[in-house]
Amino acid sequence: MHGVKRVKPTPQALEARKQKERSKIQEFLALSEDILQRKKDNDFSEDAFKQTTRLLHVNPEFYTVWNYRRTILVKGLSVNRTEEEINKLLADELVMTMAALKSHPKVYWIWNHRRWCLERVPNGPGAEGEDTANGWKKSAWDQELYVVEKLLDADARNFLAWNYRRYVLAGMPVPRPDTLELAYTSKKIQANFSNFSAWHQRSKEFDLVRNAMYTDPDDQSVWVYHRWLVGTRASRGLLEREIEAIDELLGEQPDSKWCMESIVHYSVMLLKDHAAEVDVEQLTEKTRRLLGELEVQDPFRRQRYRELGEILAVLLS
Amino acid sequence: MSTSELLIPLHVSYIQKLGENKDDLTYHLTSHLRLNAVYWGLTALAIMGRQDALDRNEMIEFVMSCWDEEAGGFGAHPGHDAHLLATLSGIQILVMQDAMERLDVDRVAKFILSLQQPSGVFAGDAYGEIDTRFLYCAVNALSLLGRLGDLDVKKTVGYIKSCRNFDGGFGASIGAESHAAQVFVCVAALAILGRLDEVDVDTLGWWLAERQLPNGGLNGRPEKLEDVCYSFWVLSALSILKKVPWIDAEKLTAFILSAQDPEGGGIADRPGDMVDVFHTIFGVAGLSILGYPGLVDLDPVYCMPAEVIEAKGLRKDWQALPRREK
Repeated sequence: MHGVKRVKPTPQALEARKQKERSKIQEFLALSEDILQRKKDNDFSEDAFKQTTRLLHVNPEFYTVWNYRRTILVKGLSVNRTEEEINKLLADELVMTMAALKSHPKVYWIWNHRRWCLERVPNGPGAEGEDTANGWKKSAWDQELYVVEKLLDADARNFLAWNYRRYVLAGMPVPRPDTLELAYTSKKIQANFSNFSAWHQRSKEFDLVRNAMYTDPDDQSVWVYHRWLVGTRASRGLLEREIEAIDELLGEQPDSKWCMESIVHYSVMLLKDHAAEVDVEQLTEKTRRLLGELEVQDPFRRQRYRELGEILAVLLS
Repeated sequence: MSTSELLIPLHVSYIQKLGENKDDLTYHLTSHLRLNAVYWGLTALAIMGRQDALDRNEMIEFVMSCWDEEAGGFGAHPGHDAHLLATLSGIQILVMQDAMERLDVDRVAKFILSLQQPSGVFAGDAYGEIDTRFLYCAVNALSLLGRLGDLDVKKTVGYIKSCRNFDGGFGASIGAESHAAQVFVCVAALAILGRLDEVDVDTLGWWLAERQLPNGGLNGRPEKLEDVCYSFWVLSALSILKKVPWIDAEKLTAFILSAQDPEGGGIADRPGDMVDVFHTIFGVAGLSILGYPGLVDLDPVYCMPAEVIEAKGLRKDWQALPRREK
């Protein structure tokens, strides 16, 4: 249970709740039993399908019932149906899972069922070559991006929604231009700089990161992303340029752990890869001083800073 | 009662009573997790040195009643479909209860192997949802069954590799954001497969160490709230990388202890919240890795008692903090 406050009910309140739940439990157990029995009997009827709708409304985590629902769709409801009827059937499923996701945006099984349905939407009514040839499919997949955006508006860090977004973008019958996705993630990042999920979705760009660093130097999403932009084999010029920019920020924010930590990291890179071209003594002295400062500013991770100091010593010996 | 110490007798009685909540609606709404919950409860008891607190025979019979004869794997509850999540729990319980003779090893190994996809990842069941969690379940289970030899290791490692992100972490699928729980499953799977060379230890160790927040608790991603369950996801990965000292053990220990329910027992996600068996095991597991006095060693790769894994000759090269004296 996540984020549910602990309350200690009085014995009377507990008894009252149990009374209230008793009928709900009986109803739920009867419904579960009915469905599992129908499943055993290979019942693929409309009735059985309706029962699964009722149960999944109460408990969308019951994966066996989602499985059974798909079996009914394949072996029952779509047998001897036209493409148009199947399209309608799947469209109803998408509506049903959308409602479920609104109240349960982090239930894997619902996202899974949605994928399964989406992949089975028929192409469309037109003949090959006509505009409408994949009309149903195209509009269903286009619609998905809109649905995901709604869910990301509600929680911009929902990684199930981001995973689904990537899945839709990769599978769309008519691919969406990359620039549109870049614009979308920019919008998400500007709405909130600590949206690491959106940072993750995009490719290289130093300016935006620099801007974010200055806006909120305590936000680690930005620093992790910056380190990736710099990479593991950066040129001396790039490293010195970035150190200088961060030095400037440190001047304004003298306690910033992230500024110090990043300068240490990039300085160690300079000492490792470009020792012949830099003032080793001065750089070492500065790095040691910052590591000492970090042990004080960020004591939880002092052991890591000590180990970085040891690496420095080995580097110089 | 104060929460400055681990309230072992209270947690034992909390776990013992879990099966008696049949007049509670939540109990029935969580039947899809029942076999996992039994594994969580049993492992928590074993780490607290009280594996005897639940009846062994009754437990084994329950596990076997979850067997899905059609698929050849375990479901979460009698009558539920087989799934890798439940199958791993079933196997782990049988191993811990020393009852592997009850299992049709050929059949279950075949079920697990049938779920590997051309990309190397595993689906959770025949319906095709993929996730690195399922890949870990498969690798862990095959290893416990002694059937790793039947696995296409190259393909499996290849998929994990393609899930590695710029921050050194791993996500649920290719391109997915790093998340501490997915980091655990990927790193532990690589440990079992002997391929930790695929991990960028410095970058990932840094990212994991930054999961600790000022209140001592750990979060699962940057700029998110702390939660006791990350005590295990983050610490297990750190111990496999031998970097547990990179976080403040004392502060994390105090945070986990503060999330105990000092009246009814059990551990919650955060202080003052409702407890559950999921956070209870991962809180206790975290404390074991942190060297908390009086606890049994936990193997962070398999999330089972270290002794059980050593007896099977499966111990990998991980490092927890030394067990402290009281």
